[in-house]
Amino acid sequence: MELEKALYKYFGFTTFRKGQKEIVNSVLRGKNTLAMLPTGTGKSLCYQLPGYVLNGQVVIISPLLSLMQDQVEQMKAMGEKRVVAINSFLTPVEKRQILQRLPSYKFIFVSPEMLGTDLIVNKMKQLTISLLVIDEAHCISQWGYDFRPDYLKIGDIRKSLGSPLTIALTATATKEVRQDIIRYLQLETCEEFVFTVDRPEIAMGIEKVGYQEKEERALELVKQIQGPGIIYFSSKKLAEKMAVRLRDQGERAMAYHGGLDQEARILIQQQFIHDQLDVVCATSAFGMGINKDNVRFIIHFHMPLQLESYLQEIGRAGRDGLESLAILLYAPGDEQLSLQLAEGELPEKEQINRLFTVIQKNQLKIEELYTHEELLITSCGFSETQWRFVASFITSHGNENSLNVKERLTNYVSNRLQIKKDKIFKVLDYIQQNECKRSFILRYFGERSTSKPKNCCSYCGLNLGTFRKVFPTNDRGLLPFNWKDELASMLLKRVGETNETK
Amino acid sequence: MTISYSDAVLLHCLNQINNERSIYSLYHLFQGKKSSQTIQDAHLFNLTAFFRAFPLLTRMELEKAIEELQHSGLLERTSNEHYRLNKFGESALREFHTRNELPPKFLEGWNYHHLTTVFWERLSILVQVCSNLVHQKKGFIPVQNKQETLEWVKSYIKAQNINRYDLAEQLYNELIFCLESEQTIQPSVLILRMTGNNRIGLTSKQAADMLNMENTHYQLEFLNVIHFMIGTISANQDQYKQLSGLVRDAQKTVPFTLSTEKTYRLIEKGFTPIEIANIRKLKTSTIEDHIVEIALHLESFDLNKYVNENKQERIMKVANETSAKKLKQIRDYVNDASYFEIRLVLARNGGRQWN
Repeated sequence: MELEKALYKYFGFTTFRKGQKEIVNSVLRGKNTLAMLPTGTGKSLCYQLPGYVLNGQVVIISPLLSLMQDQVEQMKAMGEKRVVAINSFLTPVEKRQILQRLPSYKFIFVSPEMLGTDLIVNKMKQLTISLLVIDEAHCISQWGYDFRPDYLKIGDIRKSLGSPLTIALTATATKEVRQDIIRYLQLETCEEFVFTVDRPEIAMGIEKVGYQEKEERALELVKQIQGPGIIYFSSKKLAEKMAVRLRDQGERAMAYHGGLDQEARILIQQQFIHDQLDVVCATSAFGMGINKDNVRFIIHFHMPLQLESYLQEIGRAGRDGLESLAILLYAPGDEQLSLQLAEGELPEKEQINRLFTVIQKNQLKIEELYTHEELLITSCGFSETQWRFVASFITSHGNENSLNVKERLTNYVSNRLQIKKDKIFKVLDYIQQNECKRSFILRYFGERSTSKPKNCCSYCGLNLGTFRKVFPTNDRGLLPFNWKDELASMLLKRVGETNETK
Repeated sequence: MTISYSDAVLLHCLNQINNERSIYSLYHLFQGKKSSQTIQDAHLFNLTAFFRAFPLLTRMELEKAIEELQHSGLLERTSNEHYRLNKFGESALREFHTRNELPPKFLEGWNYHHLTTVFWERLSILVQVCSNLVHQKKGFIPVQNKQETLEWVKSYIKAQNINRYDLAEQLYNELIFCLESEQTIQPSVLILRMTGNNRIGLTSKQAADMLNMENTHYQLEFLNVIHFMIGTISANQDQYKQLSGLVRDAQKTVPFTLSTEKTYRLIEKGFTPIEIANIRKLKTSTIEDHIVEIALHLESFDLNKYVNENKQERIMKVANETSAKKLKQIRDYVNDASYFEIRLVLARNGGRQWN
């Protein structure tokens, strides 16, 4: 088979990683394909390689703008110039230019809400789509941890594009969710490739600590355990605070969250990848699309909101296959914070009532919803997330009468909230049950545990000594800083000479 | 009493506005708000250096900082949003000025605010690309991600049409020459932020920490270096063959706000303010705001069409004698002048006559 040749030609690899070849073959045989591959095992190759082999454009639907941006950057860094992202970051002028040149691109990333507009769909119809890629396909299912109503429309859009060959990708989907994916995408036939979510090289620890001791314990862990690593927080403020405390302790640590400016985000991400930082104190905004092989630990300072995202986040450790450590710090009552967060993302019943009163009083039309954004947000006290949720729900039910929509929305919210609560209690179960943590998670995804690593989990036994720090932190690598030497080492080929002449 | 750098910046600016404007006028100044009021105030109170100096500052942060200054007994509150330095504040500021140059020597927020970001983004990406070219590294993630910046660097390098080693070396030589030509600037402030083939640049916060500087101090020193470079390079384009390319196609003069631009074009065609107001369906007062903005921007703009010379002289005389910057006080003395005429004359003579 010529597949290995293509692999080498386009990616410079000589062998496939586990699962990739079967999936690529399935696509190249013209079969719709659903692939579940654990995080960090090279999912994107599964559509990029067929994309190169097939004639025509590859359209990739991807839910997160930051992730989309990262993927485009990475493909460009690999030398692929015919790649573009269509999302709300574009100015109207940029968008127009890109749409005019659309057929000249090979890989077209598009966000689901953009795909919902007629303009884009009509442009897409003029293309020869060789492959439609649904990334993070679990977003289509309301049982998925990251349900996006926009994803439900993809099935109809796919049909209007002439039902092109499709591949749906996900890292974490239960059986239920996988069935939803096939159904909603309206895949007539489909080959499924499901690979285990188990990552035996990652030890799964849980530590129960008092609320007061958590910060101290996290600091102590970072002091003892080999980095680099990521600590996840659910609040920006705490991430900042702990980064400061870690720096005081002599660690090379920075906080990363949505409140940073664009340049700082790029720099911190790149510093971490280039081993200039050992610890990133992050919110869930960090990590997507980060290709770093040698992450040694992931600490969760707060409870994750679902086992799915937990698995994604700890999956960023040990991509080089070496032993790594995941530790979840739990203090009794932590679930209250999770419940609050989950509730805060959804609008409250009173807010929904108020919204429809305002809409009726001012006789607003659904199409005008966004033009009255400010009025509606302030009069109902919506947060940004709440508003986005409500607005997208209402506009997608635009042609029904408003009483109907109100009732549907109310039901929908209470339904979502229940699902979210169930997921939180599942995490709590995971923390509290007296059994193997690995088996617990695998069972949740409908698998049986087969691996039995030496450092399995805190129930089966886990020796923290294995992960002890051996390479001391190389602090203050830039001091003393001489700006002229630094410029010379950046821009001149022979660095040695400028040093000798001093 | 020794005060922090950010305290000194606030005290300095409050001292300049002399209790005649609210603290929010400073917020707008630091943000670089393009309103006639903010632009005029910046000139009137000799604060143009600080225009858009802290675009990320929030209202709340400013309020908090002012409150703290009041608590430490350096400021007194004169009305809801107005504050004045008391004698402790004044002496603390005086003492600070003996040790520090504030604003930094080359800080020119008003003249360069529209070039600052573009210049830094282009410089940092150009250095990163050249560094990777020289060390033959492919596949790096650009530290700037604006499409227009990336396209600029691509076409810039192509247009130079010299080999990568020479390009990087020329860039190196010019940077050294430029940064060494002035003793008072701190090149490290800039170079620490740069990304090369084997080191990712620091964020502004990291660089400030490394240099043991307060964030506010660092921010102004960073702008000071950038503004120094823009000024030096623009004035000596033949000496900076590579670096002048960073500013060549960027707009030289401060751009008008869009609406002012339209008014300006109608003035050029010979229309009067009232005619323009009719044409544009705007209030005459709005058009007058535009004209004041134009007078601030363009030294060549002829005022005599709007205020006769004799009146101009009388307005300036009063303004100088009383050091009053409140329009009403001036009008009490020159009662045949309209507010528009006074504002126009002050705008023209703003920064140069006073202080």
